[in-house]
Amino acid sequence: MKFYQKAVFLAAFILPGVTGYAQNKSARDTSATDSLLNSLSADEKADPVLATFKSTRLILTETTETIKKNNLNFLVVHRFGDIAGADGGGKTLWGLDNSSDIYIGFEYGLTNNLDIDFGRSKYEQLLELGLKYALLRQTSDDKIPFALTVVGKTGLKPYSVTTNVYDDYTNRLNYFVQAIFARKFSSRLSLQVAPSFLRNNLPYPYIAGNEKNIFSLSAAGRLKITKRMGIVVDYAHPFSSFRDKSNSPKFYDPSAVGIEMETGGHVFTLNLSNAQAISPINYLADTESKWTKGQYRIGFTITRVFDLNHKHKGTYK
Amino acid sequence: MKYLAFILLVWFKTNQTSQETYVCKNAKISIYSKAPLEDIDAVSTKGTSVLNAGTGDVAFSIPIKSLTFEKSLMQEHFNENYMESDKYPNATFKGKIQEKVDVSKNGVYPVTATGVLEVHGVKQNRTIPGKIIVNSGVVSLATDFNVQCKDHQIDIPQLVFKKIAETIQVKVSATYTSYKKPNS
Repeated sequence: MKFYQKAVFLAAFILPGVTGYAQNKSARDTSATDSLLNSLSADEKADPVLATFKSTRLILTETTETIKKNNLNFLVVHRFGDIAGADGGGKTLWGLDNSSDIYIGFEYGLTNNLDIDFGRSKYEQLLELGLKYALLRQTSDDKIPFALTVVGKTGLKPYSVTTNVYDDYTNRLNYFVQAIFARKFSSRLSLQVAPSFLRNNLPYPYIAGNEKNIFSLSAAGRLKITKRMGIVVDYAHPFSSFRDKSNSPKFYDPSAVGIEMETGGHVFTLNLSNAQAISPINYLADTESKWTKGQYRIGFTITRVFDLNHKHKGTYK
Repeated sequence: MKYLAFILLVWFKTNQTSQETYVCKNAKISIYSKAPLEDIDAVSTKGTSVLNAGTGDVAFSIPIKSLTFEKSLMQEHFNENYMESDKYPNATFKGKIQEKVDVSKNGVYPVTATGVLEVHGVKQNRTIPGKIIVNSGVVSLATDFNVQCKDHQIDIPQLVFKKIAETIQVKVSATYTSYKKPNS
């Protein structure tokens, strides 16, 4: 009996305490108000997942992100020379004296899902013009579990740089199409895979037996280590029997690793890669550098988004 | 046993829904902050609110992602870096209006609501002034108040601190419709 009384006393003591605590926590709202509020918000449709990647580019590949309407993205991408190996070391300040490739580009948002890109590489003096369209966006309720963006580019090599085999103008043209599938697994981890197709009208490099058409598969990802900084990796494998068999030159899969920093407007990537070229038209066809031979380089990507929506009208009324 | 029954009775009584329940599914929220480089200025019309005129209970919930900015990049940063809206999707206020408002009479009633404001997953006890407007049966509520970023652990990194003010002005307005309990 004593135990029973004790229990009742205890319950009487605890229960108001619990309800008092609940009131304190959720501000005296009755559960009825709460459930009513929840039922009101329940039929909201799921949001698209934000910022799978912070920029339209990782290191080698493009990401599923597009530039939003009336925004202009300005990119400067740089790859220095070999850090080590025959061409690196102290005499070239570990590659900083040389530049393997420099890319200057612009991306402009025609709509929130479609942007138009233009850029120019030092490597083969490649000019490229492209369109990028965000077909699917991942949603928070996983109805669409991944994002899908398609990229189409036309490349033009206006000068004969490493050869004079420009007998026909069409030989200067190259085409690249890519489908990028990405998923933001958590606020920290985003991964993507991108099958792509590259056509060089004149197979590059200009060696007998080289293929005009190359299929390839890219994989890339980002792991955020702080809110504004992440580790990024990038890898591409061209499916090419010519490249597999060739001994002189020998081809290697382009790959890269880097650190991505975001400073509100700017996204900055500092990276190491064995690929010399910046454009996929060049690096998929022609990566002849090997990590273990010291043929990797420091590179960086700076992107800056300018918002050209001028009609800013105050919404705080 | 008597005690328990009594406690439960009181508990259930306070939980009863009054007949004077009002709901709003399109509450308007705008935020503004003046800063040296860039003003922050966003609006949402997707707030939801419940007002119980009988008990004075009032609750608001705003999906953070529904706040629309003129600059899309600013919107992304707001959600991703400052509000972490994947983790904390809603800002809410749940409280009780201190004054008694007679919703059957037209008029503008200055009121204060005491309760908890939850922004960025951090709860703050607040007393927020506002007014309830009754105009021929239509009940609406309006309020403006300030939110300190540091009160809600919204980090402003040193690198961009000049862009963002530490105080955000918030305006909320809601026009209610009478809530009929769905027939069960």
